[in-house]
Amino acid sequence: MSDAELATPFRHRAGGAMKDAFLQEALTIATTKFIGLRREAFAGFPEGEALRDQARAIKEATLQHLDQHLESLIGNVERLGGHVHFAATPAEARTIIVDIARRTGARMAVKSKSMATEEIHLNEALEAAGVTPVETDLGEYIIQLAHERPSHIIAPAIHKTKGQVAELFTRALKRPAEPDPEALTQIARAELREKFLQADLGITGANFAVADTGTVVLVTNEGNGRMVTSLPRVHVAVMGVEKVVPSFTDLMVFLAILAKSATGQKLSVYTSLVQGPRRGGELEGPEEFHLVLLDGGRIAQIAGPLREALSCLRCGACLNVCPVYRQIGGHAYGYTYPGPIGILLTAMLEGAPAVRDLAHASSLCGACADACPVRIDIPRMLIELRREVDEKKIAPWTERVAFTLLAKLLQSPRLYRFAAKAGRVLQRPFASDGRIRRLPLFFGEWTRTRDLPPVAPRTFQERWASDKDLRA
Amino acid sequence: MTTRAEFLERIRQQVRMSPGRFQASSARRPPHPAAEAETIRRELAERWPETLEAFRREFEGVAGVFHRTASIDMVPAVVARIARERGARELVAWHAAALGADLTSALGAQGLDVHQMPAAEPSAAAERDRLRAVAARAGLGLTGVDLAIAETGTLVLVSGAGRPRSTSLLPPCHIAVFDRTALIESLRQVGVFLEAWHGDGRPPAAGAAINFITGPSRTADIELTLTRGVHGPKEVHAIFVEQPIRG
Repeated sequence: MSDAELATPFRHRAGGAMKDAFLQEALTIATTKFIGLRREAFAGFPEGEALRDQARAIKEATLQHLDQHLESLIGNVERLGGHVHFAATPAEARTIIVDIARRTGARMAVKSKSMATEEIHLNEALEAAGVTPVETDLGEYIIQLAHERPSHIIAPAIHKTKGQVAELFTRALKRPAEPDPEALTQIARAELREKFLQADLGITGANFAVADTGTVVLVTNEGNGRMVTSLPRVHVAVMGVEKVVPSFTDLMVFLAILAKSATGQKLSVYTSLVQGPRRGGELEGPEEFHLVLLDGGRIAQIAGPLREALSCLRCGACLNVCPVYRQIGGHAYGYTYPGPIGILLTAMLEGAPAVRDLAHASSLCGACADACPVRIDIPRMLIELRREVDEKKIAPWTERVAFTLLAKLLQSPRLYRFAAKAGRVLQRPFASDGRIRRLPLFFGEWTRTRDLPPVAPRTFQERWASDKDLRA
Repeated sequence: MTTRAEFLERIRQQVRMSPGRFQASSARRPPHPAAEAETIRRELAERWPETLEAFRREFEGVAGVFHRTASIDMVPAVVARIARERGARELVAWHAAALGADLTSALGAQGLDVHQMPAAEPSAAAERDRLRAVAARAGLGLTGVDLAIAETGTLVLVSGAGRPRSTSLLPPCHIAVFDRTALIESLRQVGVFLEAWHGDGRPPAAGAAINFITGPSRTADIELTLTRGVHGPKEVHAIFVEQPIRG
């Protein structure tokens, strides 16, 4: 999202999304379908629960020795003839990749779907360097043509109708397109096939990297991951440092639950294990392989409060079940990663001030933690983030004053009793039909979207003291 | 720019500072994967018909088309039928050594225009480009299979000399030929084979890519409508050969 859009308060972005009737329908259909597919996949897979526990344990065990696993990964990638780069910030990652593109004389880069490259805003940097980036995942291709950003981690264009996509293709590709998903897909196939065959540079993320064999693992359904890692002469993979797993045995545990959580498939159509540049005897595969290891705020969380979020597999399951995401969709969050886990990742990558409002964009219902294949306790970290936002005085002063006063009130029985009496008097002008619909001044923020229950005519303590029936 | 040493030192510091959230260990790896892989194969040799049936069910569940023939000699006729039904004539195939049998003349006799991929890397860039163009225009791609996973209906193909990655990727119709020696039951068993190939065993080929293929290429990116054949093949056929291909 652009800075201008981010300048709009989250509340307004969310409000806009809730008034968008098409978006509302698209979100309901998509998230409901994903929830059903996921549930079915695990219903027929009794060992799934134990595998989820094991997957979580592997992530935790890997983090406890992350330095060693990364050193092993680096050593093995280099042994296979690959190059490893280190990017502390998105800017460093962009510089590294643009340098590779320049050195190899690349004019066009084909990209398979990657949240890491979204996160570092790579496309703009490539364009500025004279390299044309082409997104090849159908959903990403659509939003690239529309100059938008993904609205869901695994279904980037769910906010668009087939009619909108047809209009977009007709305009951007200058060829007539019917609003039929099959026909639109065939147009994209033809357009992108040419690009795969022409591109000099292939850019991917990594779903996993296996330390002890130097393997980058890509999971896709369309086959674009295979194209991008097989046809261009240079392959660059960008991955967050937390994506490493120790061994192939560990990898299989994750593969067994990843697609089930994301799309309800037993496995995605293509799982590609890529081990460095092409080897002797091979007709295809890149001549050069580069792995860019990305920090971007992750490393500081190894011993930080958001450590658990480093286990995220980016499956999107927590988005689909989140009552807030289901209402507002991905764009309203305003950053690369939407949904419950997206709030935590945004805090990790952009710092706590970025989630001042977003930290509250959760009902803390816990559906995300239940859906998470590796059982990340997202609500716990959201609560901690709210506290941090409060303690660091990032929250608006009115909110901080209100909560400080409330805390004092709740700690003192005398003050509490007094406040109950005072409240009964003060609320008189505002209460009607047993509800307070509107409060004055900044208190009005509270009643803007909900009613406030008034203080009861008699408090429970007063009734307890005088009412014998209650005690009987 | 951050150097490798600085980058890794930051991670080391953080790892030292964090006690970890709970006691955890990664998955237990087979101590002798090659021997374990051999045991899996031996045990499966006795119950392959059940495994094959499970594979067929899952493979068809992901929209794969399953065929069964008695011997490798009958494969060209099946391939020719698939080609006729699709109006395709041009076929790219893995090299005979990678397929386990030389089907070139038999396929040619069926009226197919067969391009066998070279057993060794072509030395001239022009030849490489020519072969890529052939794969890009061919209607059919014929490959072998290194593992067929019953749990998920997945074909595992290891790249290497004579077994280009594009044969199973660029043509709109992929035909894979396999026998009982490729059949395994589960994803867990795949892990054992992968460990063996990289450990004390021998991989089926020496290329840099291992691809798991679970049905035809698909997407649901437009209104969650399932559509096949986005970038990869629109159709995947698996031909099971009853008599082991390599005798």
